[in-house]
Amino acid sequence: MNKYKKYFPIFENNPELVYLDSGATALKAGIVLDRMNGYYTEFSANINRGLYPMSEKATEEYEEVRKKVAKFLGAEHGSEIIFTGGATAGVNLVARSWGEENIEEEDEIVITEMEHHSNLVPWQELAKRKKAVLKFIEVDETYKLDLENLEKIINSKTKILALTQVSNVLGTINPIKEIIKKVKAINSKVVVLVDGAQAVAHMPVNVIDLDVDFYVFSGHKMYGPTGVGVLWTKAQRQLEMRPSIFGGGMIKEVTKEMTTYPLGPEAFEAGTPPIAQVVGLGAAIDFLESMSWKEILENEDELTKYTLKSLEKIPEIKIFGPISERVGVISMVLTGKNRPGAHDLGDILGRKFNVCIRSGHHCAMPLHHKFDLDYGTSRVSLGIYNEKKDIDKLIEAIKYALDIFNCIENG
Amino acid sequence: MVDDLYREIILEHYKNPENMGVLEGGIEMEEVNALCGDKLKIGVKIKNGIIKEAKFRGGGCAISMAAVDILLGMVIGKKLSEVKKMSGHEIEEAMGVELTSSRKKCAYLGLEVLKKIK
Repeated sequence: MNKYKKYFPIFENNPELVYLDSGATALKAGIVLDRMNGYYTEFSANINRGLYPMSEKATEEYEEVRKKVAKFLGAEHGSEIIFTGGATAGVNLVARSWGEENIEEEDEIVITEMEHHSNLVPWQELAKRKKAVLKFIEVDETYKLDLENLEKIINSKTKILALTQVSNVLGTINPIKEIIKKVKAINSKVVVLVDGAQAVAHMPVNVIDLDVDFYVFSGHKMYGPTGVGVLWTKAQRQLEMRPSIFGGGMIKEVTKEMTTYPLGPEAFEAGTPPIAQVVGLGAAIDFLESMSWKEILENEDELTKYTLKSLEKIPEIKIFGPISERVGVISMVLTGKNRPGAHDLGDILGRKFNVCIRSGHHCAMPLHHKFDLDYGTSRVSLGIYNEKKDIDKLIEAIKYALDIFNCIENG
Repeated sequence: MVDDLYREIILEHYKNPENMGVLEGGIEMEEVNALCGDKLKIGVKIKNGIIKEAKFRGGGCAISMAAVDILLGMVIGKKLSEVKKMSGHEIEEAMGVELTSSRKKCAYLGLEVLKKIK
C-alpha cells in the first residue's frame, strides 16, 4: 500500500476510494484536521483583540503560521505574507489593491492562454476598467508556452505579467525563472505574479530564487483546509498596494470623516480571518516538510509516467499535455463517434467504480477552445496518496465506460 | 453490458438523434450549461401557438444530447404555453432514469432553451 495513505483519515471511511481529482482539491491530512480541531476546542478566540490568554494564544499561533509560510516559500519575512481566502482571492486582491493603483490607460497586462479563469478574469476586468490592453502568451502544439515570441508581446508598456507555474489542465510546468529573466531583459520594470495553486504541493518553491513579485496559492490543494490561501508580496510591492476590502482589524484610526491604515499584511486582512484554516494551513506545511521532496517528486513522476503509459494503451484516448516537464495533471478525451463525453465518463467512473476524476473545462475555457475541445475534457490529477493500483482501476473503469457505449453496435 | 443510467433508450437517442439539425426560417435560441459549458441551440417553427417543428444543434455528453432529443420529440405538436409549464421531471420520466443533481443540469438544458422563446 502507498505509505502516505495512512495520513489521510478519509480512507478509513472510504477504503475503496480512488481519488484522482487532487488538482481540484486535495484530500486533507489528519494532522491538519487535528490542528484545526485543536483551535476550535482549546483556544477558539479571535485574534488581535482580546487581552486574555486564549486570545493571545490564537494570535500567536496565527502569526506563527505567517512566518512558517514565508519560510516554506523561501522568503524571509512573515510581513510579506497576506492570508486570503484562496488563490483566486489572492489574484483578485492584487488586481484590486495593486492593479487599481498602478495600471493606467494603454498600459499592457500580459497573461497566458493556459491560465485558470481565476488568473484571467480579474485581469480582463481590470483591463476593462482601466482601458488597458490584455495580451496573451500563446500555448504551442507541444502544450508549452511559446517563449520564442516574447519580444512581440513584452514591451515598454507592459506593467504586469501574471502566469501560472503549473497548468491545471495540461500539467505543463512553466520555466518561471527563465521566463522572468527573459521578460526582465526586455523590460526590467515588469511586475510578475505567479499562480502557484497547482505547484506548491508538488515541488519546492522559492519565490526569491524565481524573482517573482507576487505569489498566490490555496491551502486546500496542498492537503490543507478550504477557505484559506496566501498572497506573498515583495515588500516594495506591498507598499504600492492600497487596501480594497475595508472593515475591522485593518485600521489605524477611524473618524467620521476618514480612516488611516497600518503598514503590513493586516491592512489586507479585513474582518475576522479564517483563523482555524490558517492554523490548518500551518499543519499542512508541517506535513509536507516532514517528508522528503526528493521522494515526493520521484513517486509522483513515476506514477505520472505509469498513468500516461496506461492511458495510451487505450486507442480511443487522446491526451492533451506535454510528454515531459509536467506534473500528474492529465487531461484527455475519448475520440471517435458515439464515445462517452467528459461528463458521461466522470459519471460512470464515480458511480460504478468510486473513481473520482474531473469533467469539463476545468475553469480554462479559452485553452479548451484553442484546441477545439468545446465539450470539455476528462482530467486525472494525482496526489501523494495515489498508487499504481488506482491507475489500474481507472483503466478498468474507462474500458467499462467504452463497453457501455459500444453495447448497441456490438449486440 | 447494461448500465443502470446509460440504458438503451439514452444511448440510442445519443447515437441516432431524431431531432438534430438546422431549421431554416425558424426562431433559434441558445443556452449554455454553466456546469460544463456545453452550448445548446434549438430552432423552432411555431404556428398558432403550436410548435410545428423543432431541431437542435450542439454537442456534449450523452445525457444532455439524449435528453434534448427526447424532449423535442415530446414537444412537437404541443402548445408553446404548455411546454413552458413542463417540469424537468417529465424529461426524466421519458428518459426512464432518475438523475443526480449535477446531471439534471445536463438533462434540463433543452427545456430552459424552450422556455426562453417569447
